Amino acid sequence: MSTALSRGFGQARGVYAIWLREVKRSLRDKGQLVGGVSRPLLWVLILGIGLNPYFRGEVYGEVRFVVPYTYLQFIFPAVIVLNILYTSIQSAVSLIWDREFGFLREVLVSPMPRNLILLGKVLGGATTAVIHGCMVLVVARFVGVAPSWSDIAQAIGLMFVLSFGLTAFGIVIANYIRGFESFGVFSNAVILPLYFTASSVFPLDPALTRAQTLVTYPEWLVYMVEFNPLTYAIDAMRGILIDFNQFDPAFNFQVVGVLAVGLFLLAMWEFRKV
Amino acid sequence: MSSVETYPEGLAITVEGVSKRFGRTLALDDVSLAVPHGTVFALLGPNGAGKSTLIDILCTIGRPDSGRALIAGIDVVKQPLAARRQLGVVFQETTLDTRLTVRENLSFHGMVYQMGRRERLTRTDEMLELVDLTDWADSEVKTLSSGMRRRLEIARALMHRPQILFLDEPTVGLDAQARARIWDYIAALRAQQDLTVIVTTHYIEEVDACDDICIIDRGKILAKGSPDALKSQHGSTLLKVTPRSDEARAAILARYPDAVAGAESQLLIQMTATDSADAILAEFGNQLRQISIDQPSLESVFLSLTGRDLREAPPVSRKARRNG
Repeated sequence: MSTALSRGFGQARGVYAIWLREVKRSLRDKGQLVGGVSRPLLWVLILGIGLNPYFRGEVYGEVRFVVPYTYLQFIFPAVIVLNILYTSIQSAVSLIWDREFGFLREVLVSPMPRNLILLGKVLGGATTAVIHGCMVLVVARFVGVAPSWSDIAQAIGLMFVLSFGLTAFGIVIANYIRGFESFGVFSNAVILPLYFTASSVFPLDPALTRAQTLVTYPEWLVYMVEFNPLTYAIDAMRGILIDFNQFDPAFNFQVVGVLAVGLFLLAMWEFRKV
Repeated sequence: MSSVETYPEGLAITVEGVSKRFGRTLALDDVSLAVPHGTVFALLGPNGAGKSTLIDILCTIGRPDSGRALIAGIDVVKQPLAARRQLGVVFQETTLDTRLTVRENLSFHGMVYQMGRRERLTRTDEMLELVDLTDWADSEVKTLSSGMRRRLEIARALMHRPQILFLDEPTVGLDAQARARIWDYIAALRAQQDLTVIVTTHYIEEVDACDDICIIDRGKILAKGSPDALKSQHGSTLLKVTPRSDEARAAILARYPDAVAGAESQLLIQMTATDSADAILAEFGNQLRQISIDQPSLESVFLSLTGRDLREAPPVSRKARRNG
């Protein structure tokens, strides 16, 4: 029994080592930090402030939009998710790096089970992503978002579960990428479409009936938004930070939770073959 | 650990009838070998011979199609995690994290090998001392020369006190001085107790210092034994001649059909009788630019076993070798 316990401790230390390496590497990567700061600034300063005047209380035909928030407030939770999305996928891509430059072999011949290697890697990526999400959260007050401490704690919790799932998702993708060149393609083909169809930069107004929504937006777009799991993650983040929900909050959290577990299991399946 | 099978006394590695196929290529063809504990054992063969495939199987990364392999008595397929604790590996390509410092690389290794904190710290210092990298402990690995990186990898592989150390082509890509230094460390390790060193190389001059040599080509073991035993069994005096012209070359080849092309338009002729050097001088003396007589060496052993010069063996690309 005690040998099982000491082995458990040993393996936990191994997971910690892999986690620590991930976090150290990304904090030493100046390029990633610059991206993590400049990306939200551009979104908030340029897009957010630029579109802010055009957002409120518009009358569109017979229909009056009733999103009772400024565009800056509306887009802010989505920008947090965007930063998380980029950082998670970037961390997962370090797997390609490790495979290409051999470091992965050093870990694979160690007495660490593969699933725990993956766990350390995903936890490390998730931690980095949460740090990048928090860098956005810091400027909340400047865009008129005033979360309480408990809101902040909830937001960080949500960020972590979401980052965990997205890093696992990134590892699944990374497993199919041979070489670095194709990552740019994936970033444009996966990250941005996921983000834009997640009701991130425009609302599907909850005051509208479904029929009205389908009149206002083309059908395919509505379906894409509803099909995109990131929609519910962003909605959950909005619910926490600005108390605005377009969907059922309980359903939002379920989607994010199921996604995190499901994607990790999928990553485990993929990682067997590495 | 009662499930561990007992193994023949004193054997660090047992390989029994291991075969491995990649697509149409048979990378390992019914390979069997036994390595006694505490020896320095060399796997010698050209690129693509199957050395790396064998090392991968012994390191639990690759799985054999058939046969079995034991590391310190532990079956590498049935108990890979237990086997890995007994192994230290230095791969052919560097596997350091170049963005971490020297110390951080060692510390990472100690943690994933589940060493306690105190042991990890003392062992890190010992290992840095062993490979003379103490002064570089806090430098990032990317600032190190390739020889220093190789030394760090050896230190790292020994962190967790393995019983068996694998060195896969440890001197490839290093200059002569750095290569000599790596072999100095291997000699020092050999003096240390309780360590078996398995080294693969295609530099024939490097393996004379090993206890046992196994010559492997095209997935098959051709010969095993100590360097001296191999030389006396398979070695022959080797005549290296450089013909002056293509006509001379053709004439020599007609006279000695067994001659093998060597480096720099040399022809290598294995001498059977003591007078054949005189015979060739008498016959072709004026058509030769250069002639030299090599006493039995491992090079001639390889030549007589495989019918080709190790140096001239066509290089196989990394990818092709991985895929067999």
